[in-house]
Amino acid sequence: MDFLLLALLGAAMGLAFGIALEKGRVFEPGMIVGQMQLRNFTMLKMFLAATATSLVVLAILNGVFGVGLHPKATYYGANLMGGLLMGVGMVLAGACPGTAAAQIGVGYKDAWFTVLGGIVGAVAYGYLEPGFIQPMLLAEGPGRLRLDSLIGLPFWATALAIAAVLVLGLVALERWRPWRADLGQNHEGLSASADAAPTAARTA
Amino acid sequence: MLRFKDPAWSPYVAGVLIGLLQIPAFLLVNTALGASSSYVTLGTVVGGLVDPAMSAHAYFASYVATAKDFWQLAMVLGIAAGAYLSARASGLLRQGFSPIWRRAAGIETLSSRALMAFSGGFILLFGARLAGGCASGHGLSGMAQLAIGSMVTVAAMFAAGIVIAQLFRRV
Repeated sequence: MDFLLLALLGAAMGLAFGIALEKGRVFEPGMIVGQMQLRNFTMLKMFLAATATSLVVLAILNGVFGVGLHPKATYYGANLMGGLLMGVGMVLAGACPGTAAAQIGVGYKDAWFTVLGGIVGAVAYGYLEPGFIQPMLLAEGPGRLRLDSLIGLPFWATALAIAAVLVLGLVALERWRPWRADLGQNHEGLSASADAAPTAARTA
Repeated sequence: MLRFKDPAWSPYVAGVLIGLLQIPAFLLVNTALGASSSYVTLGTVVGGLVDPAMSAHAYFASYVATAKDFWQLAMVLGIAAGAYLSARASGLLRQGFSPIWRRAAGIETLSSRALMAFSGGFILLFGARLAGGCASGHGLSGMAQLAIGSMVTVAAMFAAGIVIAQLFRRV
């Protein structure tokens, strides 16, 4: 497919992605930071639902139609350190790389700075990779390691089994904590009580 | 019934929709969903205007090499457009910054929040590029392909996020 068609396809997929992130409310900093504070579970629910769906989709595409997978190569040090940095950045930004774009879309002004910082961070990494990071963290690794090959089962069977476990987990999570309870006032993922407390203190 | 005017759909519906986007990604683009590479692509395009040597640099050159790179950049721009249309339809367009920053961290002005957001964005994308993917690439796509490296990345991301989030007040 040529360049223009792929860009148009990307824009169309992004439109759907952005609508899903906005309607799911998962782009809100209150939801993202709230998930990390373990007081709001919207992000985990969306993430696990998307992962379970992806697992079923890929089990069918790969298992039935033979579509190739594209797992990333494993580099334990880089995966671990990169993941830790991402967790820190996600809380300070109140966003991940995809949701920062959604935040700009709905009008949050600070998200422009998240994206700007992100571009500078990505470029800084690019300059450092060949000389410093590559020899230290990306020189050796076990390759495109996958759980299904480690345990010796077909991809489709492992994927469907894990999807089933995730769905059961989500059913339990929803029973424990209905999703509407996490929306908060104005759908921004903040509890109403936190709003009420300072007001009550002021009027008392 | 799901309506476009609704302020919120369940996170399960949103998650299933996002998961289904893997179908066009794998079948038409021959790749998995991701978002963080587009920051390198955009940085290389913009930075190339300042430093023409950038496009000769092997790391940057590999992110402006194929139509896939611009597919992802277009997708991330589409995310902003989709979120805008969705929030406009439900009357949930936002201004300034989220009240969580004042309540959880005592931030009052856009300039101090901007500094925090910039730092957060820098660390977030530096980390994502080091890990080789973000919450979409490693999170959704990597976990769904049962990649061991993605599981390590996602576990580390949640572990560090949960620790750092303790610095803020729970609101």
